[in-house]
Amino acid sequence: MIVRILDPTVTAEPTESPMAKRIGTLDGKVLGLLANGKVNGDRLLDLVADELRARYDVRDVVRLQKRGASVVAEDTMFEHLASRCDAVVTAIGD
Amino acid sequence: MTGGTRLTAAEHPVDGWSAAIEAYFDRGWTDGLPVVPATASGVERFLDAARLSPDAIVLKEPVRRRVVTAEKVAINALMAGCRPEYMLVLLAALDAMADDAFTLHGSITSTGGAATLLVVNGPIRQTLSINGGANVFGPGWRANATIGRAIRLITLNCLGALPGVLDRSTQGHPGKYTYCIAENEEESPWEPLHVERGFAREASTVTVFAAESPHNVLTHYGQTAEAIIVALADTMAALGSFSPGQSFVVVAPEHVAMLARDGWDKPRIKAALHARARRTRADLKRGGKLPGAIEPGDEHAWVHRGEGPEDIHVIVAGGGPGGHSAFIPSWSRARNSLVVTREIRA
Repeated sequence: MIVRILDPTVTAEPTESPMAKRIGTLDGKVLGLLANGKVNGDRLLDLVADELRARYDVRDVVRLQKRGASVVAEDTMFEHLASRCDAVVTAIGD
Repeated sequence: MTGGTRLTAAEHPVDGWSAAIEAYFDRGWTDGLPVVPATASGVERFLDAARLSPDAIVLKEPVRRRVVTAEKVAINALMAGCRPEYMLVLLAALDAMADDAFTLHGSITSTGGAATLLVVNGPIRQTLSINGGANVFGPGWRANATIGRAIRLITLNCLGALPGVLDRSTQGHPGKYTYCIAENEEESPWEPLHVERGFAREASTVTVFAAESPHNVLTHYGQTAEAIIVALADTMAALGSFSPGQSFVVVAPEHVAMLARDGWDKPRIKAALHARARRTRADLKRGGKLPGAIEPGDEHAWVHRGEGPEDIHVIVAGGGPGGHSAFIPSWSRARNSLVVTREIRA
């Protein structure tokens, strides 16, 4: 006897996330740093910022930290980063 | 597309029931145990019991971009061994899990290895025979076993929480197979959980909690409320699971009788546990629970479990003789995942 079993799975909804425009250099630009809230995430980003500042004439650095590693960053954080920064680096630390 | 039905899930023809069971294993669609093969006619019965169309959206998970429909819930419920009427509990539980406060993506991904504990209150416990008595966390009750299992299968199949892929649990725990209990309201002199959380006593609810496994709290010889509180608080203060997160204390009827006899109610129990379940900052640093070296003052700076007594949820469950209660810490070490309760709509 043929048994027709049903697929129980759900796949991710497709989405389009185009690449942001490349900026080429960080000279004169504002760098954003978004830490995920885990221990040492902020320290890791500080090292990244130091390294980038050694290579480029970064105009300013904006630092934000999520409320917790498991939660999505609030819209206000994204808006703040988008309006203030030319490039953003995010990192998980632990 | 399934022939002659309104369902949209892809069908896979298999030669016989034994082969169907194996087909689920072959496709990676089980929790490691055999499932009940889900066919269109069976799934329709589950949808009828829930009075939902197949395309009704039950849950959206934004990080993984998953949209779970009633049809997929029904398929997994049938596979888990549920009866159709269990759908009402599943729908309420999934709605609770979708609440932002629960942080679904994190709680089913984290190395912490949580399972979703379901606590059912109200008259639906009797209607569906959900056990809140003897062996409450153990086997033997279809509703407990299969409702909890359905939540796990949905987590695996619909939310993509595959072990080692999007479920990065370092160890996990046995509750990840199934983790569903009822409160033993009949042996409780106190307000049940759902009434404490603002629902009518005659309402039926399900409460979800991203939880570690139960930690046994054995105290046979004290015979007083004070002894029970001391043992519970000591377990809650153990370094391994210590955190400012929420927790459940599941009190066995034998302990409940002593606590009630000595005049203790839930608010007093919670306040006493919060006051006693504490460690010094120095201890937390010695045990690697806080970073940094021990500083002056750390030996006398106390940190409590939870932000206040209300972070400790006290329920009654278990049955028969035995001074065995349980403490269940949250997966969340702080406020990232909180307890959520939903009414089960009949």
